[in-house]
Amino acid sequence: MFRVLLFLWVAIGVIPFPVSADHSPKIKIVGSTTVLPIASRAAERFEKFQRVEKFKSSHRLRILVNAGGSGVGIHSVAKGRSDIGMASREISPSERKRFEGSHLKVHTVAVDAVACVISSEIYNAGIHDLTRQEIRDIYLGKIRNWKEVGGPDRKIVVVDKERHRGTRHVFMNFIFGNPTAKTPGTILVTGSNNEEQTKIAQSDSAIGMLSYAWINDEVRAIGIRDKKNIVNPTRETIRKGDYPIVRNLSFITAGEPSEEVKAFLEFLKGPEGQQVVEESGYIPFI
Amino acid sequence: MENDSHGMMWVFAGLNLIFLCCAGGLFFFLIFESYPIFKLHGFDFWLGQDWWVGETYGALPMLYGSTLVTALACLLVLPVSLAVAIFTSEFLTSTSRRCVKAVLELLAGVPGIVYGLLGVSFLSLWIKDVFGLLDGNTLATAGCLLAIMILPTVLTLSEDAMRAVPAEYRDNALGLGLSKWQTATAVVLPQALPGIMGAVLLGISRAMGETIAVMLVVGSLDRIPDPWFNIFSSAQTIPSKLGREAAESIGEGTHWSALMALGLTLFIIVLLINFIGNRFLKRRSIS
Repeated sequence: MFRVLLFLWVAIGVIPFPVSADHSPKIKIVGSTTVLPIASRAAERFEKFQRVEKFKSSHRLRILVNAGGSGVGIHSVAKGRSDIGMASREISPSERKRFEGSHLKVHTVAVDAVACVISSEIYNAGIHDLTRQEIRDIYLGKIRNWKEVGGPDRKIVVVDKERHRGTRHVFMNFIFGNPTAKTPGTILVTGSNNEEQTKIAQSDSAIGMLSYAWINDEVRAIGIRDKKNIVNPTRETIRKGDYPIVRNLSFITAGEPSEEVKAFLEFLKGPEGQQVVEESGYIPFI
Repeated sequence: MENDSHGMMWVFAGLNLIFLCCAGGLFFFLIFESYPIFKLHGFDFWLGQDWWVGETYGALPMLYGSTLVTALACLLVLPVSLAVAIFTSEFLTSTSRRCVKAVLELLAGVPGIVYGLLGVSFLSLWIKDVFGLLDGNTLATAGCLLAIMILPTVLTLSEDAMRAVPAEYRDNALGLGLSKWQTATAVVLPQALPGIMGAVLLGISRAMGETIAVMLVVGSLDRIPDPWFNIFSSAQTIPSKLGREAAESIGEGTHWSALMALGLTLFIIVLLINFIGNRFLKRRSIS
């Protein structure tokens, strides 16, 4: 008897259980951590919305939202590992070429700015703006101390992002004219917006790049100075297009989207979706 | 009866085979997947210092970071774990010993991400303040964090090894007039050494492979510190690199192949450490 039981026990361990299939439709969204707040808020809203409005049938649509970065979002939707990819930058030419067969389609839902941010201690010490050349020299390692740009005598903690991140592409494209610029001055490399925000807030002499919606009292945005003209990132300057580092936040689908995906994208572009965009701290895309 | 047990034996043998195939399969998968990068760069892959996706792939900074962080963790763990193991095994009453063991085993099961978050929120700031650094995300932080992570495992296994030394040894030593301290260090400790080595090797393997905790505090900068022994600067380890970049390249392309080659490198290093460890243990037990 004992042997039989033992045998069964071992056998159970070896046989893979047929996973109970879940037939309710699902949308998987992966990608940019900048777009993520919009996606997760909208998902919550949309699930409520469709319970009232359409799809009254028994199956309820479920939306799963995951981070990873724009590069991951584009890659995973092109490879069919997710239904929608989130991107805070354009699809790069090399990605276009690589995923030619996937027929990627971009659905823009919001406008955002990438701000050059610094630790509040430096901001309070008097640095409120930098020129493009100064930022470039900081990232190249030519300027290593805040006093060289009129700040306190403190070394600069230069914070960079992982190379595939959308925010980095947009920022480096403005500063260097090259989205994959090499930055030998870097001291730290971070990934998501949250991670970068935390590391800059923890430091008392850091510089970095962040989405407009992630700016707070610890992590202060500075203006971009061009000769005498200073442009700060504000809702006004972003909307008018005066602030130089703006970008579109998009959802990306591959090929012909399913009914559920279409409904969700429509929702995002509609009034309620744009409300969500506003609440997340971004500027609606008209 | 005879037949019955025979049947069981085949089941066990089959399971054994599955595990062997898994290990072997993983190894060959890694070789297969990383072949393109070795075709492209040859052994320069291990010597190159620059990692620019789409241009060139050099693994030396990651290799260096992994080695240094693990060595640092080992250096910090060894004295502490030996001291505590000796004390717990030889000087504590059995009730308090059981308490200590229970706590240690509980700690050993805490997932890496918890240590990682604690590292980001506290350890990196402490290290920054204590050493007056520019920033707290350094090799030293990662080494300390790993030391804390592997300490419970190394400790509890070392303590097991010391307990496993037969009581007669102690009785004889005490009977010959040795003090309790002398018994512990001169009689029990040498006997337990192979077991302790095994515990440390297990700790090293975990430290080598730890991803998320290290990723959060090491700074993730693909550069060998200048000067090379400067443990208070940011760097990168192999698992951290994989954790940061694998998701954007899954499945194909040179980038993926380069990441798989990093994985293969780690696999080989851990294999080598275990191999050397085993040789060392064998020699000790013969002598």
